[in-house]
Amino acid sequence: MNLFEPFTIPYMQRALAEVLVLGALAGAVGVLVVLRRLAFVGDALTHTVFPGVVIAHLLGRSLMAGALAFGVLTAVLLTGLGSHRRVGDDAALAILLTSFFSLGVVLISRTRGFTADLTVFLFGRVLAIDRTDLVQTLVVAAVVALVLAVLHKELVLRAFDPEAAAAMGYRTRRLDLVLNLLIALVVVAAVEAVGTVLVIALIVVPAAAARLLADRVAAMTALACLLGAAGGWLGLAISYEVSVDHDLRLAAGATIVVVLVGLFLVAAAVAPLRRRLARDRVPAVARRGLGNSGGVPQ
Amino acid sequence: MAPEPPGGPPVLALRQATVAYEREPVVEGVDGEVAAGQSVALIGPNGAGKSTLIRAVLGLVPLTGGTIQVLGRAPQAARRQVAYVPQADTLDAEFPVSALQVVLMGRYPRIGWVRRPGTADRQAAASALAQVGLAERASARFGTLSGGQRQRVLLARAIAQEPRLLLLDEPFNGVDALSQDLLLTAMGRLRSAGAAVVMATHDLGLAHLACDEVCLLNRHQIGFGPIGTTLTPELLRATYGGQALQLRGDGVIVARP
Repeated sequence: MNLFEPFTIPYMQRALAEVLVLGALAGAVGVLVVLRRLAFVGDALTHTVFPGVVIAHLLGRSLMAGALAFGVLTAVLLTGLGSHRRVGDDAALAILLTSFFSLGVVLISRTRGFTADLTVFLFGRVLAIDRTDLVQTLVVAAVVALVLAVLHKELVLRAFDPEAAAAMGYRTRRLDLVLNLLIALVVVAAVEAVGTVLVIALIVVPAAAARLLADRVAAMTALACLLGAAGGWLGLAISYEVSVDHDLRLAAGATIVVVLVGLFLVAAAVAPLRRRLARDRVPAVARRGLGNSGGVPQ
Repeated sequence: MAPEPPGGPPVLALRQATVAYEREPVVEGVDGEVAAGQSVALIGPNGAGKSTLIRAVLGLVPLTGGTIQVLGRAPQAARRQVAYVPQADTLDAEFPVSALQVVLMGRYPRIGWVRRPGTADRQAAASALAQVGLAERASARFGTLSGGQRQRVLLARAIAQEPRLLLLDEPFNGVDALSQDLLLTAMGRLRSAGAAVVMATHDLGLAHLACDEVCLLNRHQIGFGPIGTTLTPELLRATYGGQALQLRGDGVIVARP
């Protein structure tokens, strides 16, 4: 198996660039998703952008523009409905997820040969990424990176201690809207490549794996970006090699997700070992600390 | 005791403050003042409205009657001068932050967007952590500390905010004796620096140790004044109802709610 050889072909190079950017982008946002336990919000967003994708397709417009419109709409509705005392976050999610997804299915079922289109929207076609798609992904990545540069520490504070964040004067509902919009942007950026169903794996799996291995948000973020990008690269290389050398067609997007889950399982296997090592180091630290800190570390 | 700025407004002024959810009053008619360097214990059974009153002082729930002023301003306008210490066990113990990073969060409002904590912020955070006796645990993950140590980290975060009003919600719940002493010492130091302290507690003994004023609450204000004259058997019975047990003589004990 050669991890570099497939990427001498232009369409594979574009696919590689796309998944590297997406993997890192989804990893960075995924950390906040995992820390806030918002995986279900990400999942809902992946379904609610679907009608946007379908409408854009029917109108012959950019799929990303359609997804963006519905992603933003969902983020706003979710933040608004979720803050309603009698509706609550979980019910708001379920309502939006099912109603928007059904709308998308209803719309696309009116077109001829819709199952082929449906497959593309749901699972993407990373090997057909063109220069325009790549530029769009880069623009979205730049926007997300900019927002994270401005608000990252505030978003982490809100994730850790929402009451104290509000007491310090941060408008936590606005921070929630920002994070929902960031998730929507990642979903939108990934629609062409991996489709609306698999993007949630890009967001959640690398971050969840990093969560098992890192004790600091910064380390967790670096690791999630790295794992996301590595999963994309390995997944592409494997699907190409197997398809070409063994004549077994492996869908590239789905292979990436399988590789990511594999990386997660490795992290889950390594994490207990790492904790044992950390525990062996603790007594020395605790002994030094006990003198003036007191208390027994749990 | 800290000098009170002559002629300045009290740190906290409550005038018939009332909070209601959907027309049902949660806490009603709270009336009193807290001066710089003073410390008030909010005392009452569970559901008495202590936490709600704290949230109202933070400007997080709207008043349905009366007024609250912090340093002569509306609570929302004074948030930079106010620090809030939640109960440590309400926070995610698996969250990947170190003790020092939690304390640094207290500096975020003054750091502002985009910028990262600078040297001055790190020094302030390290010094706050030292004041609660946790300098050597600065790089320990927050969740690996004991309950009492976590509570001290959260007080250190409040100290790093350099507040003029400190609000604490049950700061001594599940806290070991050493942590309790260190919390009391650090709170005393803040008061001598001129901060006012308001803390919700159901521990009357600790209220005596930590505070010189008391506000007795059970949905409405039952008493507000110096601890020696306000913490009387009559008022305690009025506050706790059936949970207050009369002992022989003047003593009253309060069964834990």
